[in-house]
Amino acid sequence: MKNKSDTALAAALWAQEDRLAPCVHCGFCLPACPTYVRLGDENDSPRGRLHLMRAVVEGRLAPDSQAFQTHIDRCLGCRACEPVCPSSVAYGVLLEAARESVFRARKTPFAARTLLAVFSSGVLTRWSMLLARIVRGLGFAGFAARSLPRGRTFHPVRFGLAMLEASRGRLRLEQSSDSGAAGASDYRAAGSAAPSGSVAAPSHGETPWKDGSRGRVAMLRGCVQAGLFARVNDASERVLRANGYQVVEVRGQGCCGALHTHAGDAVRARELARANVRALAAADVDFVAVNAAGCGAALKEYGHLLEADEECGEAAAALADSTRDISELIAGEAGRVGAPLPARVTYDAACHLCHAQGLREEPLMLLEAIPELVVLPLRDAEECCGGAGIYGITHAELGGEIGADKISAVVETGAEIVATGNPGCMMQIGAGLILDESDVITCHPVELLDESYRRAGFYDGR
Amino acid sequence: MADEPPSILPDPLTKELRDRLCGVVGDAWVIVDADRLLAYESDGLTAYRRTPRAVVLPKSTDEVSHVLSILSQEGIPVVPRGAGTGLSGGALADGDAVVVGTARMTSMLSLDPDNRLARVQPGMINANLTKAAEPFGLYYAPDPSSQSACTLGGNVAENSGGPHCLKYGVTTRYVTGLTVVTYDGEIVELGGFGRERGGYDLLGVFVGSEGCFGIATEIEVRLLPKPEGVRTLLAIFDRLEDAGTAVTEIMAEGLLPAALEIIDGPTIRAVEASVFAAGYPTDAEAALVVEFDGIEAGLAGDVERAVAQCSRAGAREVRTADSAEERLALWSGRKKAFGAMGQIANDLMVQDGTVPRSKLTEVLGRISEIGARYDLTIANVFHAGDGNLHPNLLFDRSNEDEVARVNRASKEIMAVCVEAGGTITGEHGVGLDKRRYMSLVHGPDELDAMRRIKWVFDPLGRMNPGKVLPDGPDDGKEAP
Ligand SMILES: Cc1cc2nc3c(=O)[nH]c(=O)nc-3n(C[C@H](O)[C@H](O)[C@H](O)COP(=O)(O)OP(=O)(O)OC[C@H]3O[C@@H](n4cnc5c(N)ncnc54)[C@H](O)[C@@H]3O)c2cc1C
Ligand code: SF4
Ligand code: SF4
Repeated sequence: MKNKSDTALAAALWAQEDRLAPCVHCGFCLPACPTYVRLGDENDSPRGRLHLMRAVVEGRLAPDSQAFQTHIDRCLGCRACEPVCPSSVAYGVLLEAARESVFRARKTPFAARTLLAVFSSGVLTRWSMLLARIVRGLGFAGFAARSLPRGRTFHPVRFGLAMLEASRGRLRLEQSSDSGAAGASDYRAAGSAAPSGSVAAPSHGETPWKDGSRGRVAMLRGCVQAGLFARVNDASERVLRANGYQVVEVRGQGCCGALHTHAGDAVRARELARANVRALAAADVDFVAVNAAGCGAALKEYGHLLEADEECGEAAAALADSTRDISELIAGEAGRVGAPLPARVTYDAACHLCHAQGLREEPLMLLEAIPELVVLPLRDAEECCGGAGIYGITHAELGGEIGADKISAVVETGAEIVATGNPGCMMQIGAGLILDESDVITCHPVELLDESYRRAGFYDGR
Repeated sequence: MADEPPSILPDPLTKELRDRLCGVVGDAWVIVDADRLLAYESDGLTAYRRTPRAVVLPKSTDEVSHVLSILSQEGIPVVPRGAGTGLSGGALADGDAVVVGTARMTSMLSLDPDNRLARVQPGMINANLTKAAEPFGLYYAPDPSSQSACTLGGNVAENSGGPHCLKYGVTTRYVTGLTVVTYDGEIVELGGFGRERGGYDLLGVFVGSEGCFGIATEIEVRLLPKPEGVRTLLAIFDRLEDAGTAVTEIMAEGLLPAALEIIDGPTIRAVEASVFAAGYPTDAEAALVVEFDGIEAGLAGDVERAVAQCSRAGAREVRTADSAEERLALWSGRKKAFGAMGQIANDLMVQDGTVPRSKLTEVLGRISEIGARYDLTIANVFHAGDGNLHPNLLFDRSNEDEVARVNRASKEIMAVCVEAGGTITGEHGVGLDKRRYMSLVHGPDELDAMRRIKWVFDPLGRMNPGKVLPDGPDDGKEAP
């Protein structure tokens, strides 16, 4: 079966043969996998997918076969299978190689191709994000999503609109007039969360901005993040400054390429990565701060992505080393404590934070440090929400099932707010909540910290 | 072992048959596409590959019954499969057989804390049962090292044990009732709460039958109250023999630890290189884990006596785990040892033999001699308290000569165990792999008696054919 076309297609997987070998078939990864747990087919388990990859490498399975495509496509890329694997099989890296084979083997669907092309171009990204913001700004996305009939035909539009609506900042906590009321809080949905500084701030006797002595930081602005979640970027920047970092603006950076890597378009992913390496390396910073888990994981893996690149390889590895999730820079002893924020929040661990970056405690520590914020535990907090890029749209049924489980877990907690550190998850969970007519609000943990700082008056006079 | 070609190549099901099966379980749960069957060609023992004819994934006893009745009308053999963590090739199907998997049968059917009983579907994962029982202060005692992945159906079929079975006994002690579907789709109740009626213990016969008698579709088990206190200690030795001596002495003291586990030097180094590193010193040649549980009052004394015995046997250091976290880390290193072998070798053949405890040291010496003679790395992990050895023979499947040496060394190891008065399997079952050793331990009359018992459940030989019992008088004498 090892004919010429297969050889070309499977080249990416062959290059990873050594990473495939350590899988001893113990099965420990099976119960961690959201698709296996729900479907029960070995082909939809990490061990099964690795077995299919191995069959491709052994020349027993064609990389363009229906089976290979279907089961590799159906993987969420959540990487919950990695931390439980005693043999440390690098599933994420292998999945990328498998996706690259699939990508080369078939014509990627029109919609996905368009999306990838758009995000590869800075200009197109900005235009499409502007368009998205206009639609969102018209204010009917949520209403339209809820009124469209359920069912297959309308699902992509319905869910897409709900995701767009979910990207809106709805977080605006008002200081409780009676903060003595046990656990009670009141918040109000508002159109924009830009801090106005109108709330009377308690005096904390500290300088509002610290001196920047904790290091020079460049913010990865991202594509979707810059387009639809500018408020999270702004909040991150304020919070970093308030914690003594010097934030520098870096031009020439763009999309991190994670979407492309996950879709198997390694060529474009590398192009984007190179551009970012050049831009960010020139900035001479101590850290690159990222507030989108998926982008952070991608940056941290630039060293691997560009391992064969003679020109950029070294700089890529250095960039990967200096990359930090925002929570890593803020949480812990040195983190500044703001004003009370009486509200009930629950925290959903984004896969690309907890599984891919191994960051479990930091975001929780960040939340727990906010006075009077009650953090309620979320059942299966580390299970994927089904977002996984556009999985909710491409795999409506399974993605819907996984998403619905997450929504019921969130609602069960009785929280008013669910915080999660990835734009995709914010939109996925937010969309689910909107379609469920729930009034639980979705936000990024850093937005809550920012609000607490604003109330503390850290930003006054700026 | 290793890949002798399957005797029968998969023969696709007819469309009519496929449609009938789809009618019972739904289209998505009947797998016939040759490419998709590849994932089912191995279980936890990757030395073998067998592609089944099809895989069917039913959801309930009724569906299993319908599926088996349809297959039996066509004369098609059936192989049950749980999570595929088995280490004797038990869940593999030679081309003519259809795998019936329990991966979708994961529900808790009832949990009765007052009577300390649970009734579950067979696809429920062992560890999930304990998780569900925890709020009631209860747990499920048999704890195979694979407990986070293996199913209760697989446990019943293999009569699985685990580190704590030294004190608590293996699966069969906890199974109180079963609903079983036989090859022709008949639903049979064995035992069950309030149904003990005297007569022969058919339930006991079914437990450990390795999928050769029927498919367990509902399992009723006894739960235990969680012990009041637990103490774990770890002793590090520079010589494997000394650890063996410590085990003998601890038992001779009249102590009854809940678990007594040894992992040897090569295994320590594999575990420490993995994400489950438990902080064992990598230059040591043995680590002995001893655990006591029960009423708080007696524990401190037990630990003290065990520590004394370890020191006397020559332990370099003895640590006690104080926090629950440390205990977990100690255990995690031991329980993930098999998986962690992937850190040091691409393929491994885990053997499973049992010897009288008093012969442990001698047998270990002979195993290491066999390893040296065949130029193979052998990493040992074992339930020392039960004399249950797990020599892991490390190899690379692409090296044909090495595969052949693993083969011969495995056979010699089995022979050594039998010679020492032990047997060819402690807990992983006979399955496909150990069938050829059966005549080392059982005479023709005994094998014949076993055949007759199977006949009662499966007169036409349709359940898990080619497993456990050697087919003819020659089968089992000569390993390939
Ligand atoms: C890392 C590792 C550690 C292990 N540690 C231990 C240990 O400490 N102790 C131990 O005893 N074993 C151990 N094992 C072996 C294995 O986990 C057990 O044998 C387990 O019980 C198999 O369960 P399974 O669900 O994976 O069954 P499978 O491997 O799928 O099947 C095993 C056998 O059971 C039959 N079967 C499965 N389900 C049913 C059913 N519902 N009805 C009838 N027959 C059925 C199959 O036909 C097959 O013959 C270990 C394995 C691994 C990989
Ligand atoms: S846990 Fe790791 S070694 Fe075990 S089957 Fe999964 S990927 Fe393979
Ligand atoms: S990445 Fe997630 S969905 Fe994919 S195999 Fe691993 S656990 Fe399953």
